Amino acid sequence: MPASSPTPAPATVSAMDSASLRAALARARRTIDRHATALTRLDAVLGDGDHGDNLSIGFRAVEELVAGLPPETLPGELLRAVGHALVSAVGGASGPLYGTAMIEAGFRAGSAATIDLALAASMLEAATDGLARRGRCTAGDKTILDTLRPAADALSAAVAADADAASAARSTIRAALAGMRSTRPLVARRGIALRLGERSAGHLDPGAVSCLLILLALAGR
Amino acid sequence: MTDGDGARFGAVERSAFEGRIAALEREAKRAFDDAQREADTLFAQYQLSQLVASGGSAKELAGAVLLELTRLAAGDEGAIWLGDRTGEPLQLMARIGSTNDLPEHFADAAAARRWAGGRPDLRFVVLSDEPSPTIVAIRAADGRALDEDGIRVAQLARHELAVAFAGARLREALEREGHDLAAIVDGATDVIVQVDEACRITRLNPAGQRLLGLTNAEAVGRPCGEALGCEAAGGHRDANCPLAETIRTGQPIGYLETAIRGVQGPIKVAGGYSPGMSRPGGMRATAILRDLSAAEALEQLREGFVATVSHELRTPIALIRGYAETLLAFDLEPEQHREYLERIQGLTERLGALISQILDATHLDADPLILERTPVAFASLVARLHGDLALTGDDRRLATDLPSDLPPIEVDPSRVGRILENLVGNALKYAPDESPVVVRAVVATPWLQVHIDDEGIGVPESDRPLVAEPFHRAWNVRESRIPGTGLGLYICRRLVEAHGGSLTIGDRPDGRTGTRVTFTLPLLAGRRDRRSGSRPTAPPPTVGSSRAEHVRG
Repeated sequence: MPASSPTPAPATVSAMDSASLRAALARARRTIDRHATALTRLDAVLGDGDHGDNLSIGFRAVEELVAGLPPETLPGELLRAVGHALVSAVGGASGPLYGTAMIEAGFRAGSAATIDLALAASMLEAATDGLARRGRCTAGDKTILDTLRPAADALSAAVAADADAASAARSTIRAALAGMRSTRPLVARRGIALRLGERSAGHLDPGAVSCLLILLALAGR
Repeated sequence: MTDGDGARFGAVERSAFEGRIAALEREAKRAFDDAQREADTLFAQYQLSQLVASGGSAKELAGAVLLELTRLAAGDEGAIWLGDRTGEPLQLMARIGSTNDLPEHFADAAAARRWAGGRPDLRFVVLSDEPSPTIVAIRAADGRALDEDGIRVAQLARHELAVAFAGARLREALEREGHDLAAIVDGATDVIVQVDEACRITRLNPAGQRLLGLTNAEAVGRPCGEALGCEAAGGHRDANCPLAETIRTGQPIGYLETAIRGVQGPIKVAGGYSPGMSRPGGMRATAILRDLSAAEALEQLREGFVATVSHELRTPIALIRGYAETLLAFDLEPEQHREYLERIQGLTERLGALISQILDATHLDADPLILERTPVAFASLVARLHGDLALTGDDRRLATDLPSDLPPIEVDPSRVGRILENLVGNALKYAPDESPVVVRAVVATPWLQVHIDDEGIGVPESDRPLVAEPFHRAWNVRESRIPGTGLGLYICRRLVEAHGGSLTIGDRPDGRTGTRVTFTLPLLAGRRDRRSGSRPTAPPPTVGSSRAEHVRG
């Protein structure tokens, strides 16, 4: 249980086991809670103004779920369960999208007891592909994917370059941040925001922002 | 069974088991893929639902839906046509990509289908059929196959889309109707005021705002009794508020006269009150009130006209009949005979003058005045009047005070002659016999200012704004029983105004009993320029009379 665990090591310093994954999910919950108002405000411009609240509810559900799972639950199983909880608990499109990403990552983790950097990169790829398939979106559509795809690409590149965990995390987050920022001038092509047409340009996509926040939490930031 | 048999049997069994495991894995993979696809489809449907639930106009909705469906079907180009229940042709509402080869209209859904039969490059999806058809055409730019799952999503969502488009049409119709009604309310000349169930104003139209001297923002939220001031204006008591009664009973009030507090004082109004629903269970009421003061003034004028004209026509006719009957019935002395005939002649002249005045006034109202302006000396017009008055001997009462160097004026001489004739005629008529009437003129560049002073009964101050209105006669004139039509001053005012000038009625500046009528006429342009270099703009203020009344200038 994250609340009772000793301070876990940052996720990217070494391979991530189930306990450190639980700690990362707890960080994600706190981060989302802290930024829920800002996310909702962003969503009020482009969507239906509930993104922060919805995610906050979702990650609280995740926290409750994780607390109820036995300690020996493998990371892959944990992520799949988390994915299903997000699909069920988060209203709006972001629940199924983040849920799909978690489930896909969980499948890719298989029965591994720990997640090393190469597996993490593969899981992030799987999460990205799953989210793109489910949302029928591509980079540039002003969605979560604009943050997630460059992050996944950066992590894979870092692994291919045999980078250490810390520098891989740095380059991944840097790419995610740039991707998130790239959504500001974009015209939305997916979701409710596409109704706004040209008027959607000039605002950050709330999904792209929340995705960065979740990646930061998972990376131990 | 030997060990060798067991080993052989085991190998066969293992192979069968492995085959079975592989089959199960394939089955599981297929089931997993199917579940994924189903989940993808469900999510796509969900997103489409969210999109159509977010409202907007039919055109906005069509654009968004087309974008979404084209994406779902993995297409690059598309178009969407909508029809409605009116039977109008289906209209192209939105298009994506280079779809300029697609028609703007289809007569109906059947025509669209026939057309689609000749276009195998397009995937044609009829989302809804008559009576409100919605048709989408999608194609991939490079001729590759479209995503059938995406097409399936579109087909699954067709009922929802049909409802969404019908809703959008309905919203648009309601908005149009709302705008039309607002235009009627805002354009109405009657006061239209709407209150909520607490009798607080929720809307006051521009006519009401003008009459009450309130902006809509100032009026909204105030209790109607306070904003309209019915009780203070002498209308109904606040406790008997017809708007409150309408809300309480839910019954309309067809006609009610009351008063409201206008900018310049109480205004008598009449109108109807109707109840309405503000929201489920909530009542509101609307009053449409007409300002009766203008109608009453018109009615007074009409009554005045009927009384005056009938009196002025009947009196001479009765006298003519009397003289004629006497002439027919009796053998009169030649002198008396002639006297009666002369009286009949005088009466017919009076009748003729009256009728021509009525006709003049009617023409002034009906026709634009065309003036034949020419440079003329004002003194010559006065001299002509002098000559006319000599026929009746009234010329001895006419005095003039005209500077010898008066510049010429640029006017229609016959019209100005008419003005002088009427004004001097009035002065002579309402002043004691033998009292003088003085015509003065001064230059007030760019105008010539003419004063006509008499020693007559004067015009009461309360009547001054009205005496130059048709058929209005001041109360002291009516009481004097001096015959008149109430048209002379009106005709003068209109003729002066046609020249650009103004006419005012005031007291004599020397404080003596009587009236000073002042009017202005334009000086000849050249003279004007030489004296002041300016063109006539607004008429100058009346000189010498502190209580002069500007008459509708």
